[in-house]
Amino acid sequence: MAEKTYLQAISDGLRQEMRRDPRVFVLGEDVGVYGGAFKVTHGFQEEFGPWRVLDTPLSETAIVAGATGAALMGLRPVAEMQFADFVSCAWDHLVTIAAKQRWRAGTPVPITLRLPSGGGFSGGPFHSQNPESSFAHIPGLKIVCPATPEDAKGLLASAIEDPNPVLFFEHKHLYRRIKGEVSDDRYTTPFGEARVHRAGDDLTVITWGAMVYTAGEAAEKLAADGVDVEVLDLRTLIPWDREAVLESVRRCSKVLVLHEDTRTGGFGAEIAATIAEEAFEYLDAPVRRIAAPDAPVPFSPPLEKAYIPQVDDVVAGLRELAAY
Amino acid sequence: MSTGTQVEVVMPQMGVSVSEGTVTKWLKQPGETVALDEPLLEISTDKVDTEVPSPGEGVVAQVLVQEGETVEVGTVLAVIAPAGAGSTEAEPAAEERVVADAPVPEPATQAAAAEVTASSSAGEGMPSTPTPAPVTSSPHVESAGNGRTFVSPVVARIAAEHGVDPNAVAGTGQGGRVTKKDILLYIESGASGVSPPVEAFAPEVPEQAPAAAPAPPVSATPPAPETPPVPAAAPAPAPTPPAPTPPAPVVAAAKPAPLPAAPHAPALAAGESEEAMTAMRRGVAEHMRRSLDTSAHVTSAIEVDMSRVVVAREDLKQEFQATHGVNPTYLAFVAKATVELLPRWPYVNAEIRGEKIVTRPFVHLGIAVALDEGKGLIVPVIRNAQDLNLLGLARSIADLAQRARTKKLLPDDVQGGTFTITNPGGFGTFHGTPVISQPQVGILGTYALVKRPWVVQDELGKDVIAIRPLMNITLTYDHRLVDGAYSGGFLKELRERLEDWEGSSG
Amino acid sequence: MAVREAEPVGSLQEVKDAGLDREDLFGIYRHMLVTRGIEERGHILYKQGKIPGSFYTGRGNEAGAVGVATAMAPNDVGTPLQRDMGVHITRGVEPWRVFAQYMGRADGPTKGRDGNVHLGDAKLGLHAMVSHLPAMLPVAVGMALAFRIREEKRVAVAWCGEGAAARGDAHEGMNLAGVRNLPVVFVIDNNQWAYSTPAYLGYACEHLADRAAAYGFDGVVVDGTDVLAVYREAKRAIEKAREGGGPTLIESVTLRTEGHAVHDDAFYVPKELFEEWALRDPIERYRTWLSDYAAMTDEEEDELTSGVKRLLHDAIQQAEASPLPDPETVADGVFATPDELETPHHK
Repeated sequence: MAEKTYLQAISDGLRQEMRRDPRVFVLGEDVGVYGGAFKVTHGFQEEFGPWRVLDTPLSETAIVAGATGAALMGLRPVAEMQFADFVSCAWDHLVTIAAKQRWRAGTPVPITLRLPSGGGFSGGPFHSQNPESSFAHIPGLKIVCPATPEDAKGLLASAIEDPNPVLFFEHKHLYRRIKGEVSDDRYTTPFGEARVHRAGDDLTVITWGAMVYTAGEAAEKLAADGVDVEVLDLRTLIPWDREAVLESVRRCSKVLVLHEDTRTGGFGAEIAATIAEEAFEYLDAPVRRIAAPDAPVPFSPPLEKAYIPQVDDVVAGLRELAAY
Repeated sequence: MSTGTQVEVVMPQMGVSVSEGTVTKWLKQPGETVALDEPLLEISTDKVDTEVPSPGEGVVAQVLVQEGETVEVGTVLAVIAPAGAGSTEAEPAAEERVVADAPVPEPATQAAAAEVTASSSAGEGMPSTPTPAPVTSSPHVESAGNGRTFVSPVVARIAAEHGVDPNAVAGTGQGGRVTKKDILLYIESGASGVSPPVEAFAPEVPEQAPAAAPAPPVSATPPAPETPPVPAAAPAPAPTPPAPTPPAPVVAAAKPAPLPAAPHAPALAAGESEEAMTAMRRGVAEHMRRSLDTSAHVTSAIEVDMSRVVVAREDLKQEFQATHGVNPTYLAFVAKATVELLPRWPYVNAEIRGEKIVTRPFVHLGIAVALDEGKGLIVPVIRNAQDLNLLGLARSIADLAQRARTKKLLPDDVQGGTFTITNPGGFGTFHGTPVISQPQVGILGTYALVKRPWVVQDELGKDVIAIRPLMNITLTYDHRLVDGAYSGGFLKELRERLEDWEGSSG
Repeated sequence: MAVREAEPVGSLQEVKDAGLDREDLFGIYRHMLVTRGIEERGHILYKQGKIPGSFYTGRGNEAGAVGVATAMAPNDVGTPLQRDMGVHITRGVEPWRVFAQYMGRADGPTKGRDGNVHLGDAKLGLHAMVSHLPAMLPVAVGMALAFRIREEKRVAVAWCGEGAAARGDAHEGMNLAGVRNLPVVFVIDNNQWAYSTPAYLGYACEHLADRAAAYGFDGVVVDGTDVLAVYREAKRAIEKAREGGGPTLIESVTLRTEGHAVHDDAFYVPKELFEEWALRDPIERYRTWLSDYAAMTDEEEDELTSGVKRLLHDAIQQAEASPLPDPETVADGVFATPDELETPHHK
């Protein structure tokens, strides 16, 4: 056991997997000599050599397609997009080949794609996105969004083991800001199981990624009002823990779905629709969503602050819900 | 492949976006022989002109599409018969057509959703018509003042489960609505089901609809527009709610037609007191009005000599009580006779839907139950009553009545009735004109069993006076569907059935 | 590194030097006949409404496909495209399964989930193509990357059309292969027409093989109607890659003698071009060569052709007897389960 940052947990977990399984290898831009743009693979090439920590050309397509081909040949590639935003360059490969190969041709594609995502540091439109929902919509891809260091490590191990393409969204904002106790042993965290970040009975917030902490802070503020807010961290979106969500909704009857991604067609819409279909009779208020507005992520701090849901935004939403 | 059976020639799909093709030239005429794969005709499509090789060998038996005609992909163009068959009948080809049709899934049927969202309240249900107008199910609490009657889904469900009237609960939610917390608190505090004084009801303000489930007969909020009426005359059955799929029908913000009200409420005279109508009363009032406006009510009556039934009942009373703990009531006997006959008189057990008449071989029998202290009516339903014997019916009736009075009915218990029996005779009345429970078309009324002097035939066939237990039975029917002769026929058979009763099975 | 133009194979001795015996030569002929036969029969079935969707053939590319595939070792892998039915046949895919695929049957290689030439038997080292071309090219590069990482003496062959070579996938794949000297051979099937786009509107260099230099490896142009020439070049390139010599780009030139698909009558191709290339029909050419150089007798030829005819007849019967897929299964198997990774090629 040791206290690690979110980033350290990912790095240690990845290193542990590479030591455990020689088929695991890393490829991406600047991952080798440089140690990765965020230093996740710092020191890896020294340990594993240049063919297991492969510096690729600037070629997202070749990275993802290359990973696919290598996976079809029995390796377990962990490909990195330097920023999640760049995955759009490889969108075709993910959607056309990786997502569909098992279903139509019977050959699994066990690739893991690491995607540093999210904003909050004036990264601008192309270094701050959370592109999870468009991929969640494509059958055949798994979507993972850890919020804690402990989950990041366990979910990464599961992702690498999983015989399917897994998009692993690491929230950049959490890299160094969040610390937690993380076991040094190897462990896997299952997909499709939510984690109760904060237990409560009056309202529930369904969320993931960095927003888990925003919700947590907002919940503390409401506790001072005498309102007990539950925060449920989904941890994975495909698959997602419907049962936990529905159980929480049944118990609390008032629910807020919160995500940093933009509102229209964001994954929260799927959750809200499912709640309306399957827990209608348990609702004491409409299902509310708080998300970024339908616009690219702005650069200038006041704009970005108005864009990314802040603690105050969530507090206001929760108070409204509580009063309904 | 041709196996001696006929082979169809179809218009091929020449490209994914192509949906039709034109026959430009037949290379063979009917009667000519053709070999497998030999060019048979030429076609033209948006993409390409090409020949179609024959899929079979034999003789061109029929040409179904002429040169110059344009048809959809997959259309049969010709039929090839095995050589020597001579038949010109186009029989279905033995081959499998490979062109696949994507099966279109059945859309979720009807207003299962609409029925769910239609409100239903205690004893006053939604019609079980499959085409109610879907009621908007987005609950919206209007701004201050009017929100009081909005009941959210969870509150509706809890209210239904506990037989609580949400209006009886103090609301702390937006606009004064009852929240989940409020009703849970109320229930935990052991509050009774008595409605607290309600604010002066301003009739011109349309009520927000959502109501509790039909099971608890306690007053509930007003129902949606299509709620059926209840018989006006006597404790008559409350209308049956629809057959929804969820266990507790949930409610929506349907707006029922406001009850006609005095445009200006006059001041009370000395000695007069005023109370607000309970939700159930409002519902009953609305249903009565609506049923009378919908059906063409006609009542026919018949007097039945219940002598044999009386004897049978005496014989069975002890056994039924001792062994089964249930009393064989006259109502049970009449119910038995009724459900036996109804399948033979389908129009009395039917339903009018638009210009269609729906008949069925089953009888979901509604039995009217009066609630204590004039609180209202409820009509629990015995499903598939035609399958029950006398004992079964007696038990069902007793069970439902008891549960109705103790507010333990489930939503399924008050839905889907096809015919109703009401029994006001307990008070001694000998006749009545009940109101039909929509969307049914008939309601049977049974009245007091009265000993009367009656003309009967003695053993020599001569008229003599005897004392006979007589019961007047009425059938109120909807003359839109049922005519006098038909109803008369039914009543005649009913009388014969009862007057010839033997033992426990009749 | 200049682009080299390949020499035709002129004698039986050259063939022997290239590693083929008489039986192999006849095998090649048979594969070409089966390939063409499947596509001709399929063409007819399509027009008879027995094959849904679209129908593509590689008529004119039989030599290109069979020639390359013959040069592959059993544990080599490849990502052939729609003109490369000959690759599937040469590697051992049974004709009835091809028809089952065309007809969307449950016993087809994709169980009815994908159509026409989108088939691939991973056990035979072939991976099913997608419609986005040449998306499988960088995937093949990834396969070669796996071989390099594991230091296995295996080669990946990546096919691409001359039209598809315009897309970024081709560039990224070749670039990565060149940079990392990976054991992959790129085969560009240049049949001169990408649907209705002529080659001169698809690329500006003289030969697509010229691009190899840009990526740091050799390019060679070969007459795609000469199956033995194709074989010889493919063999050289594949063995070079196997021994760590890096990629080669082979541009195999022929003419697409039918439309882009059956629903296209190729009106935009000048008739003279068809006439010119008809004289170079790959199967005809090879038949002549076999008679002239390998002493193929009429009896031997008849036996071959009638054997192929029987094979295809039976194949169609078998495919037609295969059931259509069960609609209930449509959403099954979107995700793999861990046990599926226990197959030999995944371990």
